Amino acid sequence: MMKLERWSKVQSPESNVRLRRQTAGFRRWPLSYRFLVLLVLLFSVEGLLRVMAQDPQKKPESQQQGMGVSTGSAITYSTRRTVGVTDPKAPTIFEDVTSKTALSTFKNRSGTPEKNYIFETASGGVAIFDYDSDGLPDIYLLNGSTVAAMAGKEKAPRSALYRNLGNWKFEDVTEKAGVANERWGFGVSIGDYDNDGWPDMYVSNFGVSRLYHNNRNSTFTDVAEKLGVARKGWSTGATFGDYDVDGRLDLFVPGYVEIDFKNLPPSPAAMGKPAGRTGLIDGGQNVCQFRGVAVLCGPRGLPGESDTLFHQKPDGTFEDLSTKAGVNDPQKYYGFTSAFVHADDDKLLDLIVVNDSTPNQLYINKGNGTFEDVGYPSGVGLNENGREQAGMGLAVGDYDRDGRLDFHITNFSDDSNVLYHNDGDGNFTDVTLQAGLGELTIPFLGWGTSFLDFDNDAWLDLFVVNGHVYPAADSYQWGTSYAQQALLFRNLKTGRFERVGAPPGTALANAWTGRGLAVGDLDGDGRLDLVINNLDSNPVVLRNVATPTGHWLALRLVGDVAKKSPKDAVGAIAYLTSSGIRQRADVVSGAVYSSQNDLTLHFGIGAATKVDKLEIQWPDGSMESFDIPAVDKTFTVVQGKGGK
Amino acid sequence: MLGALVMLTCLAVPAAAQQGVILSGAELARVIPTGFYFQGQSAPTQMRNSAAARFGTSRYVLAGLVDTSGYAADVRARYEGFLITDSAITINGSDLETGAYGFGFSNDGKLNILNLAGNQILTVSTMKDASLKRPRPLVMIRSGNETRLYNGRDYAVIAVR
Repeated sequence: MMKLERWSKVQSPESNVRLRRQTAGFRRWPLSYRFLVLLVLLFSVEGLLRVMAQDPQKKPESQQQGMGVSTGSAITYSTRRTVGVTDPKAPTIFEDVTSKTALSTFKNRSGTPEKNYIFETASGGVAIFDYDSDGLPDIYLLNGSTVAAMAGKEKAPRSALYRNLGNWKFEDVTEKAGVANERWGFGVSIGDYDNDGWPDMYVSNFGVSRLYHNNRNSTFTDVAEKLGVARKGWSTGATFGDYDVDGRLDLFVPGYVEIDFKNLPPSPAAMGKPAGRTGLIDGGQNVCQFRGVAVLCGPRGLPGESDTLFHQKPDGTFEDLSTKAGVNDPQKYYGFTSAFVHADDDKLLDLIVVNDSTPNQLYINKGNGTFEDVGYPSGVGLNENGREQAGMGLAVGDYDRDGRLDFHITNFSDDSNVLYHNDGDGNFTDVTLQAGLGELTIPFLGWGTSFLDFDNDAWLDLFVVNGHVYPAADSYQWGTSYAQQALLFRNLKTGRFERVGAPPGTALANAWTGRGLAVGDLDGDGRLDLVINNLDSNPVVLRNVATPTGHWLALRLVGDVAKKSPKDAVGAIAYLTSSGIRQRADVVSGAVYSSQNDLTLHFGIGAATKVDKLEIQWPDGSMESFDIPAVDKTFTVVQGKGGK
Repeated sequence: MLGALVMLTCLAVPAAAQQGVILSGAELARVIPTGFYFQGQSAPTQMRNSAAARFGTSRYVLAGLVDTSGYAADVRARYEGFLITDSAITINGSDLETGAYGFGFSNDGKLNILNLAGNQILTVSTMKDASLKRPRPLVMIRSGNETRLYNGRDYAVIAVR
């Protein structure tokens, strides 16, 4: 039985004033009248609170226009539903082992705790990748920054790279590796852009972004300027992918909001003072508001940024082909997360861009160097009721094992996350309610999300990290909170998911200001672990301790550059058949929320003790079969070395 | 014969006038304002969420959602966008005179029309179109002889008088 933590009522300043005015007349009534009215009111309020304590039975569908974000109806709640929800009978799936690791000394810092500006709210990403090719996945955590640091007035917070030494020991190798970034970091994506067999790293910054080339000796060099990918502005969750099948990875970088430090948007701290671009009216009418409370402005009302597609040329430098390819986003939607994916399975990589408070874009690759945005007609652009949502993160996976990639997109509070089922032929259906992911996710403000088979039962489950952008969420009766619990959903194998309960005192019972999320098997035990990057806080390392779990198989794919497949096989699809069940896993760069899952593919295979068939569709489009001699192991699969 | 033809033509004009032609592309961009004044300030139009219909040869009804982030919360609760008509129309059979208005669709299935001072001047009940394949935040769609203004799956029928 889930336990809901009661939340004390807090009146807004506006309602206090109203209350005082209304009660002035009441106090002039005779005492007996007052008592009678109070009695009636008492019963009415009690009944109302009971109704409010029950979650609404449907998704809120009236658009809250102009709140700065696109979200659903505002409802007043008597409980917070994003913290303190525990279940003593639930099994422990994840153990928080952060304090035992070197990552416990890392702290994300992103502007001020008050969050007066939008750029203070969305850092940062996290990547799990094996930078030194020793077989153990390592961790890179992005840090934010401050306005003072951006102006050179204080030391900038540092991002950090942790080398996995095995047995849950990690070593901070940032200094040696040269990847401290020391810019306002938002996104990190992994791709071996130069096909040398060593993973490189694109860091999307608010400022100038970096491309860290892996020097194959545990150091990196920022080659962004040299190669032409030093995107300026506010770059977010990027993705590598070889969209033109020339064997070289290209790079797509979404842009979010255009910020001018010399002309910042109105700040809630300036309530009532004349300042800012629009000029605040006394009383703060032009201060941005959420549920009547002054909050940071944006993204709506602020100018957006276009997106950038960098095409890699034969000489290894990149050229901006955004406009030519038709993915430059002239509408300047607020881009947050992107991924090159096979949406229509025509062997050409398509591109999905999750946008905040504007429609999502799904670009279908036409095979001639251009894309067509089918966001609206495909159904991915909006939710089932045609509403723009505040898209943040993206999970990509075939949750129902029908052979096609589905999408899960996280959104703002007062709105549900959305599960888009891929119906084939480029059509998607919002199946959120049918899947049981609607009502429960409404109070949460979701960020990183990923499909993962946490119990190796051969069905993809779902993980979501959450956290609000307005610190005021803790002070008002919004039914939500600033720090929020993460959500783990078990796949019920029927198209539906159910929330996995959080035993009190365990990791899933904790509330975090979650942002980035990365999935990978950090200890090689065949159970997928997680790393979460929390805003203004320490990261969290979650060890998967689920029992019992099924058998598993992990695959590291290596493409053949001579056959025009990138060496890291980004864009490849593995189809694995065991016990008559065929599963699919894709090598995807980016997605999640400005983060990177380990590129090693993981399959849970349940009770199966052998693999019947493994087929790989390589990035060049060719298919190849491989014999897999055992399970519960990691195999390296090289293009051209298969049996058939 | 000629007289009969003239009479038929005269009869046909009002009928044709009822049938709105939905504008798109450059035609739409030509008529939709990039911003709209309402209750003390102007706000930019969300051009992706704008729509227009031409009735007859030169009568237009325009609608668009605006970015209301600069407004106070109580205004935003009622005001989503603008409705501009250069001729007298009906919305779900209720009269609306020539003019520029604010509007908002409400949770309880109503379309509220507001004058530029923010006063409510008309409220009509909306219909729900459960069969609409790909709803959008704001569109106009011709359905049979009707010109419909949609907000998601909710819609109202617009006709010239």
